[in-house]
Amino acid sequence: MFVEPVYSSLITLLIIVVACAELCDAVTVVDVYRLVQYDLGGVPLGSRLAALNHHAGSSLYLSSAGAAADLSRTVLILPVRELNLTFIRDYIGQRKPLGGLLLLLPPVFSPQHSDSGGGADQDSAKDLVKEVLIEVERLLIHANIPYPVYFGFEDEAVHAMLGDVKKNDITGQPATATTGGYKLVAAAPEPRKVASPAIINIQGWLPGLKADGDSNKLPTIAIVASYDTFGAAPALSVGSDSNGSGVVALLEIARLFSILYSNPKTRGRYNLLFVLTSGGPYNYNGTHKWLRSMDQRLRETIDYAICLNSIGSSSNELWLHVSKPPENAYIKQIFEGFSTVSEELGLKVGLKHKKINISNPRESQMLSFICLALRTGYVPICMVAWEHEQFSRLRVTAATLSELSVAPDFLESTGGLSDNRNFINEASISRSVKLVAESLARHIYGQQGKSIDIFADHSSLSINPSYIRSWVEFLSTTPRVAPFLSKNDPLIVALKKELADHTVEVNVQQELLDGMFTFYDSTSGRLHIYQVASVTFDLILLLVLASYLIVLFSFLVILTRGLDDLISLFRRPSSRKVKTA
Amino acid sequence: MTMFHFLNCAILTFGPHAVYYSATPLSIILTSFLQQIRLVCLATFLKVSESDSFDPYQVLFVQSLSGIVESFDWVRRCCGLYFALTQLTHRNISQNHKFQAVGLGWAFADSVLHRLAPLWVGARGLEFTWDFVLQGLEANANLVLCLSLAALGSLIWLRKNKPKTLIPIIYACAGIVATMPSITSYLKRGLGWHFPKVVGFELFTSLVMAFISWQLFTACQRPSN
Repeated sequence: MFVEPVYSSLITLLIIVVACAELCDAVTVVDVYRLVQYDLGGVPLGSRLAALNHHAGSSLYLSSAGAAADLSRTVLILPVRELNLTFIRDYIGQRKPLGGLLLLLPPVFSPQHSDSGGGADQDSAKDLVKEVLIEVERLLIHANIPYPVYFGFEDEAVHAMLGDVKKNDITGQPATATTGGYKLVAAAPEPRKVASPAIINIQGWLPGLKADGDSNKLPTIAIVASYDTFGAAPALSVGSDSNGSGVVALLEIARLFSILYSNPKTRGRYNLLFVLTSGGPYNYNGTHKWLRSMDQRLRETIDYAICLNSIGSSSNELWLHVSKPPENAYIKQIFEGFSTVSEELGLKVGLKHKKINISNPRESQMLSFICLALRTGYVPICMVAWEHEQFSRLRVTAATLSELSVAPDFLESTGGLSDNRNFINEASISRSVKLVAESLARHIYGQQGKSIDIFADHSSLSINPSYIRSWVEFLSTTPRVAPFLSKNDPLIVALKKELADHTVEVNVQQELLDGMFTFYDSTSGRLHIYQVASVTFDLILLLVLASYLIVLFSFLVILTRGLDDLISLFRRPSSRKVKTA
Repeated sequence: MTMFHFLNCAILTFGPHAVYYSATPLSIILTSFLQQIRLVCLATFLKVSESDSFDPYQVLFVQSLSGIVESFDWVRRCCGLYFALTQLTHRNISQNHKFQAVGLGWAFADSVLHRLAPLWVGARGLEFTWDFVLQGLEANANLVLCLSLAALGSLIWLRKNKPKTLIPIIYACAGIVATMPSITSYLKRGLGWHFPKVVGFELFTSLVMAFISWQLFTACQRPSN
């Protein structure tokens, strides 16, 4: 009948619509964190681009399309859980072109995620991923990558998208404008150099009990910890263990000694100096500058300095690293003090000696860097392995207490992606605090060898676990890469205030980071995931619409003017010819 | 590509109006079009002020009062159409063409005012959704509904000698067609139907009502012929 043509075409459209309606998807927005971008002695390293606007692809595309795949306009989405290390090594080592790289981390590595525990197999899986992550991080930090690299966390939306992308990739078709798929857009501004990267050292001074007349001659003991971090993603570098644990321990020790020193009857005959240094990953630059700027007379009064570095993992073994030979009487005395206390606590402390050598660089991979530095005119600096070596170079006795038995490589173990709240143990920090505080106190009050528990549990001087926990939580959610911290940063203000609460005098020293390092901003952004339809779909839709309108037109003409009129519309030119002829 | 999609949806939304205009001899449409725009604007602003004034009461009588507000919708549609049909006093136009002109003008003005802006803003984006295609289909259904309502309206107000038996049917159909927007919004919000389902329902009912009003119109024309 007369309604049939229109009705049937509408019904077909309706069927198509209903059948494909479940394909529609809203825009997904994910928080992503960019790989660090920095120059080391003029050599560009890290990811050099920030803006991203390409189609999504997965690792399956490569396996189906083979080595000839052109991925320069594709963003590869790789979950770290299923990452193939050799593939990544090849890709980055051979500098193959890529539109972008998005690495998906399991949620346990997110600073906001609090691990609810889980069984032993979950832990081993976590450790496996941690190993892979450390390796990937090392690869990415030391390579020059000409495309954007972002880190994101797995969640349901991203999982669904990745599943779809994998389904498309299995068929071997590249996701381009003609075949639809997903498009990833991260609108980030052009990364600019951080203008004056600052190193901010915070020191707190707790004066000892002066006997009449000889106030300046009291010996000083320094407790030092570096608080800044460096990692593959500066916005995620919270460094809970390296060196958040050191900072928390320092603050707790400061708190305990401030209680002791508040009362003149229990004030020791030593000045105490608590220093939170910056520039740790960059060869302990902050410590170096702090020592240089220090008054020489004060420096000479330093009896010894103890540096805290990574004491948060749940092992029962700690190491005391020294530069002076173990046969040195003073070193022996200090080590014995530590050993006695550690035995009481059930810990094991070993002594490790490493000579500092001013002439040779400590890493062979840094030889090329030194040659470059010589070429570009930079004065080669002495590379130090531990923080105490900066003291030792100025003939100050110092030692580093750490759970690491071997010095970490340059830019390693400085608070990377895998170093967060879920991998440290507050009990270890408490134990280390007890170890250091007890050993120091026995030394200060001359109680070595006597079995006395100054910071006993359930006393007014006991270690406060909730204090430790609250600071661990604060530090584990605050990324602390030094060039991105200004003097008014909430972190610096908080640390300064805390030290001011426990010590008598606080000084903040601000210096410029060594010229060897240049950092670039744009460390995080938002990734928009769009589901895009292909050009073929639009063409098909256009054809369908055109035919619908033609049918509608013909139907209406037939209805109102009759079938003859419709035919006459098409026959007009020929009828004119007939008329003229 | 996204402009392409916008173009497709625009063709779907406004194409049928253009096709209808070119297929039927409705040259007076341009003058009536401006009238329709005026009336639709008035109706839209009336609706806005109505819902505003009812807000404090909606807290107490949520569902029922909003339902009443929505049902005032058909009152303003009927009023608008009545004025349009009776005010169209240009030249000698047959009744046949008058209702078509009014219906088409009304539907086009409605589409332009309510659908052009979301289309321009949304369909040009990168993300693909079926929403705008469905909106276009809805515009088609709206066109058919407006035409049927105009036809029934012209029967009610402009034809004086109707067969007595058909009068209640005419009024009933006019009532249903006029309250169609309220019904669809109830389905969307009250029953929570998804957009494709609602559009399907609209298309189906518009065709059914068009067929019924067609039959009524031809039935009323028979005695005068």
